[in-house]
Amino acid sequence: MNKEIFRRLPPALKTLAEEQGITEDSCLVFARFDMNFEEKYVDGWLLLTNKQVLIAQAVKGPMYLKQYKGCVDRREKAAGSESYETSLLPVSETASMQVLKQVATNVLFYRPEGEGREDIRLALCSNMYLAQLRHFAAVFTALKEGKELTEEVLRGEKEEEYCPKCGTMYPDRERRICPKCMNKSSVFFRTLGYFKPYAASIAGMFVCIIATALLNLVWPYLNGTILYDRVLARDEHFLEFLNLPAGKFVTALLLVVLSMFMTKLFIQIFGIIQGVLNARIIPGVVMKLKTDVFDSMGRLSMGFYNSKQTGSLMTRVMGDSEEVTGFFIDGLPYMFSNIFSLIATAVIMLKINWKLAIPVLIWIPVVLFTSYKMAPILFNFFTSRHRARRSLNGRVNDNLTGARVVKAFGQEEKELTRFDKYNRKLMRADVDLVRFDNRFTVLYAAVESFSNLLVWGLGGFMLFKYGNLELGVLITFISYVAQLNNPLDFLAFSFHWWAESMSSAQRMFEIIDSLPEITEKENPVHMQDLRGDIELKNVTFSYDKNKTILKNVSLHVEAGRMLGIVGRSGAGKTTLVNMISRLYDPDEGEILIDGVPVKDIAFLDLRRNVAMVSQETYIFMGSVYSNIAYANPEATKEEVVQAAVLASAHDFICKMPDGYDTIIGATGRELSGGERQRISIARAILANPKILILDEATASVDTETEKAIQASINFLIKGRTTISIAHRLSTLRDADRLVVMDEGRITEEGTHEELLQKKGTYYKLRELQTKALAMRGLE
Amino acid sequence: MEQDLYAEEFDLEQMEAETEAMLALNYLDRNNSTFRRTPGGFVSLDTEDKHYARVQVFRTFPFTGKNLYISIREADEKAREIGIIHDLDQDVDEETRQMLTEQMELRYFTPIIKKVKNVKEEYGFAYFDVVTDHGPCRFAIHMSGNAVVHLTDTRLLITDLDENRFEIPDTRKLSNKELKKIGLFL
Repeated sequence: MNKEIFRRLPPALKTLAEEQGITEDSCLVFARFDMNFEEKYVDGWLLLTNKQVLIAQAVKGPMYLKQYKGCVDRREKAAGSESYETSLLPVSETASMQVLKQVATNVLFYRPEGEGREDIRLALCSNMYLAQLRHFAAVFTALKEGKELTEEVLRGEKEEEYCPKCGTMYPDRERRICPKCMNKSSVFFRTLGYFKPYAASIAGMFVCIIATALLNLVWPYLNGTILYDRVLARDEHFLEFLNLPAGKFVTALLLVVLSMFMTKLFIQIFGIIQGVLNARIIPGVVMKLKTDVFDSMGRLSMGFYNSKQTGSLMTRVMGDSEEVTGFFIDGLPYMFSNIFSLIATAVIMLKINWKLAIPVLIWIPVVLFTSYKMAPILFNFFTSRHRARRSLNGRVNDNLTGARVVKAFGQEEKELTRFDKYNRKLMRADVDLVRFDNRFTVLYAAVESFSNLLVWGLGGFMLFKYGNLELGVLITFISYVAQLNNPLDFLAFSFHWWAESMSSAQRMFEIIDSLPEITEKENPVHMQDLRGDIELKNVTFSYDKNKTILKNVSLHVEAGRMLGIVGRSGAGKTTLVNMISRLYDPDEGEILIDGVPVKDIAFLDLRRNVAMVSQETYIFMGSVYSNIAYANPEATKEEVVQAAVLASAHDFICKMPDGYDTIIGATGRELSGGERQRISIARAILANPKILILDEATASVDTETEKAIQASINFLIKGRTTISIAHRLSTLRDADRLVVMDEGRITEEGTHEELLQKKGTYYKLRELQTKALAMRGLE
Repeated sequence: MEQDLYAEEFDLEQMEAETEAMLALNYLDRNNSTFRRTPGGFVSLDTEDKHYARVQVFRTFPFTGKNLYISIREADEKAREIGIIHDLDQDVDEETRQMLTEQMELRYFTPIIKKVKNVKEEYGFAYFDVVTDHGPCRFAIHMSGNAVVHLTDTRLLITDLDENRFEIPDTRKLSNKELKKIGLFL
């Protein structure tokens, strides 16, 4: 064990351990556990030396806060408890130690030395410490079996990483994003980054926006004070100001009207320029965002796709990017212009008549503060609506893909009810959102009407009583109050707009930031010419912690040979072959191709040299030609036709009216299972890989087609390393060697003859199949 | 040749017997089986023809029938089924019921959320601060994917980052304030 880790043990525990002679030098490994057998949370520790196991359990008060992954505070973790109860288990008296994985808990148990002894429970933990416990048991086993305790054996899992800023454990070790320290404004600035290439256009837009705002400020002054108090009130000073001879009020009026017209005209012109610039920016940014999301989705490993629904991914790529850019273009610039006009209007109002201005302006901070406070709640309403929409999309997606089954079982009614349930959820989420949103609207409307009344009332009073206010000024003032309302309305609206757009941005960055579990090594090994020698060493793998799919699988396929894999469904056959092309990485053990670990091989070389024909055929939208040429787009027509002939696909392709140019896939012509299969085989033939994986390649075809495909496969496997999975043993009759898999292990291995002699599972399977065929008179 | 044929026939019969055994449900009850606690903290089983030093106890309907169709399985990794207890409340004596329940409670350990103190959503994760029947807990879940499953309209199963489970048996029993906190998941 790392000495550093031993030093960081809780002080009380360290003292107790040292009393038992366990020091940083002798301690091999530790593990934590968090429950006792009365199902109570505890703070428990296990330490292992060459001689003994120390089991320590904290003595605690009744209130113990259990912190699961992602919630552990580093400071708290280091502190530990003040006193521990300990017990010792000598290694010499313990025969074996194992972890029993249950649904939500895991039991560490041992079997004492001696004949016929029974298992004894040692510790219990939640899934949080499963990996530690397993590692502990593995080190114990290695120690007991007298294996060399190398660095690698002792290292085990990496220590959990903590955020340097707040000390919280990263929820996802690979992602290294501390959600606590990640805030909305950083999301905002990050999104802003996408607009960088358009800096010039954006600057232009800002100029237009500010100009429009300024012109809007001039307007009330022209149509109020100037028009009424200067021109219509026949103010001689004004004529002097305009350099007009005395009495020429009609000319002055014309001039004022002309400037009013020009103001409006320029507002329109700036608006048009702005629209043009806008149109230049948005599509570019939306496209870039979409490309980024799509790109990172492509990079992500299979694990990601297993955990998300396709429907929800669609919403993300399509909807979110538009939502985000929408705000940045239609919202953000106006937000600035509105804040600008809000401040400018307020200043002008104060200048004109501060007594009248203050009662109106005093409400603004109140309104803005309330909006600000309500924004986070709105944020939640938006997220919840998004979730509802997502599950509805998922529902529809499910139904469309499963339409055939729904119809076959006559479940349309029931599906409608189920759809209705989700639809209703979305409706409720929408209603909740609107209901909350209405509070904003009411607030703003109230303030607006109230200020209007206030100004009329107060202004009228001033006009009558003191005569220190002119009618024009009052009219200007009223226009300004109305102008105040526009930015306020907008700001209220933009609070929630901002909220919605940030949550969209957040969701997108989540995908963009997701690191693929499987990454190419920094300096990968380039292997132009593979021989195709495959070796698996003690490979263990599980999709989720509850079920180990492959257990300690080792096998070797020499270059150019064919290996057949037989086994029940769910035995782990497909998983095994998926690991060779690195769709998944093993949890333990390694896979070597020509003696090089697959983890070190460049993706390009690996993918080019390993081709798979599987039970799931992927036909994308496009011509038959491009489908076959998928892996090798530079292939000539001749090569494609040749491949199709070898795959016995040429015949049916020719019979289609458009031949190799027939559009197949999503909306095109429907192909039968066997036809799709044959196109996949042609694709593999054209790819010309050194390693060929056939996963139930003939599962979905009739016997006659199978024979044809079998012939193509026989051609295909020449000179390549082939791994073939099949239920029908007849498919495997050319295999050099065969393995039988059961429950994630290899149970039998050998040539066809050897396995028949063993009279094990393979023999049984063969007997069953030949008998069944004989009964039908087929073979 | 004749002998060979005979051997094959024999094998076939055995295979058929095995297949049949695979297809049959073997019910266990107080008359044909005896469960005992082992000193090591597990449960052993004696059926009419075999002694099992340790067995595993699986629920087949962990959410909708905790005590129905309890599957008793062998201790090794293959976990072959020994038999099924149709109804734990009816078919075995009280002591057996209790010891099997203990095993299952450990296996399916799922704290019941009594009080929701706080739920915070941050960058793709939600942080729960709750009080359960096993004491106060904090845990984190992924926002995407299926961390919160609706077993019924009012019953939620929540799975954390490590696949630990938590349950809210009835959302109607939560206060309005608490409902608001978990509103995102309803």
